[in-house]
Amino acid sequence: MTGILEIEALGFSYNNAAKTVFRELDLVVGTGEFVLVKGASGSGKSTLLRLICRLEASESGRILFKSRKIEEYCPSELRRSIVYVSQIPAMIEGSVEENLVFPFSFAANNGLERPSEKQLSEMLETFYLSDVSLQHQARNLSVGQQQRLALMRALLLDPEILLLDEPTSALDAESTSMVFSIVEQLNIARKKTVVMVTHGSFVPQHVSPVLYLLENKKLRNV
Amino acid sequence: MSQVVEIGLWQLLLALLFILIAQIASFVYNLGLNKDITVGTVRTFAQLFLMGYVLTFIFRIENLWLTLGIFAVMAVSASFIIRGRVKEKEVPYMLPTFMTMFVSYFITALFVTGLIVGVAPWWEPRYFIPIGGMVIGNSMSALAIALERLFREMRQQKGLIETRLCLGANYREASSEMFRNAVSAGMIPSINAMMGVGLVFIPGMMSGQILAGADPLQAIRYQIVIMLMLVGSTATTSIITILIVRKRCFGKGEELLLGEK
Repeated sequence: MTGILEIEALGFSYNNAAKTVFRELDLVVGTGEFVLVKGASGSGKSTLLRLICRLEASESGRILFKSRKIEEYCPSELRRSIVYVSQIPAMIEGSVEENLVFPFSFAANNGLERPSEKQLSEMLETFYLSDVSLQHQARNLSVGQQQRLALMRALLLDPEILLLDEPTSALDAESTSMVFSIVEQLNIARKKTVVMVTHGSFVPQHVSPVLYLLENKKLRNV
Repeated sequence: MSQVVEIGLWQLLLALLFILIAQIASFVYNLGLNKDITVGTVRTFAQLFLMGYVLTFIFRIENLWLTLGIFAVMAVSASFIIRGRVKEKEVPYMLPTFMTMFVSYFITALFVTGLIVGVAPWWEPRYFIPIGGMVIGNSMSALAIALERLFREMRQQKGLIETRLCLGANYREASSEMFRNAVSAGMIPSINAMMGVGLVFIPGMMSGQILAGADPLQAIRYQIVIMLMLVGSTATTSIITILIVRKRCFGKGEELLLGEK
């Protein structure tokens, strides 16, 4: 089967082979699929996502994006097509608006249209952030609000794949359900391919994710 | 102008009274510095006498390759001193640092001795070595500050750099303010020195020339050239070195190689 993302016999270890994280790991993700990867803390879930977007370099095996090795893409072009949203979102010093639009100053995003204030305000509502204004200082927002802002920022680049790393790790039950609801909507309404890792409980409401378990340095379809 | 008043051996030894005061202070207040003061004093005498004889020898035989050899030794020593201060293990920065220092300092010293001062030959050791030494000494400190700042900020801001990379930034865009901060940190001391010179302090070179009997109006001209030269050389060496070393902080996939601390 050919997918938008294919991982073949991936191997990776930290500290010069002192700690092996993956050995012969395989994964195929189809276009528009919602893939959920579960595993214990320290099993390498975040590392897997970081390898896909080249924040780490693999030791063996290969990762293909649209049938081409990820090393064949310009790193910034690859990363704007496969956007990774980390567990702890980093906000720059400045307003919510500045935090949402700063990626449009990067050369790789030149072809993208910068969203208007009206569009951004409407999006804030969609992301359950109607009480947040564009002029708010982003670093003063709660972690939950920053998580949603980070998702919004990633989505503004219209990526083909969203890599979500424990997007609800620091959230209360209410915020968790909001984030999951948003992610499901992205997958259903905007046909975004989603690869999400979590060690917590995610109960899908509207999607049927392909579930994998990361254990013994490999992925197992469950 | 008046002749230089020579310092005889007994007068030189009389200056040891200053050391005696420091030793007594350390002993009375239990500072634990007596051994360091003794070693420092002996090294000051030994190293400077050695340098005096070496310089006398070099000035006498006037050989191009020997002059350049001394210059290279100074640059190598400076890069090892920088390594001692910066203490970075993950990114190999020594070779680009040394190469940039050597080339940049050589061009600066050449420009000053050959064009501004206009001595012939351009490598006249009496001019080339002290000027080269001043460039290396001052820029070395600037470079150590800039490198240390770059590595520290890259580690502290790893989350922000990676967020930018993940949103389509290339490594230059992702680390632009860390680059700016590092270069500015390296340049600020030499710019501040220009602000205070002549008001807050009389620079060593100018003091030396005046004590040696030179006209103060001639001495200030030399000093102005030196101050401008130092700003230029710290700017060029900091920018070029930080540009090269910053690139080395990222891997082939433009992933940040430095771990968070």
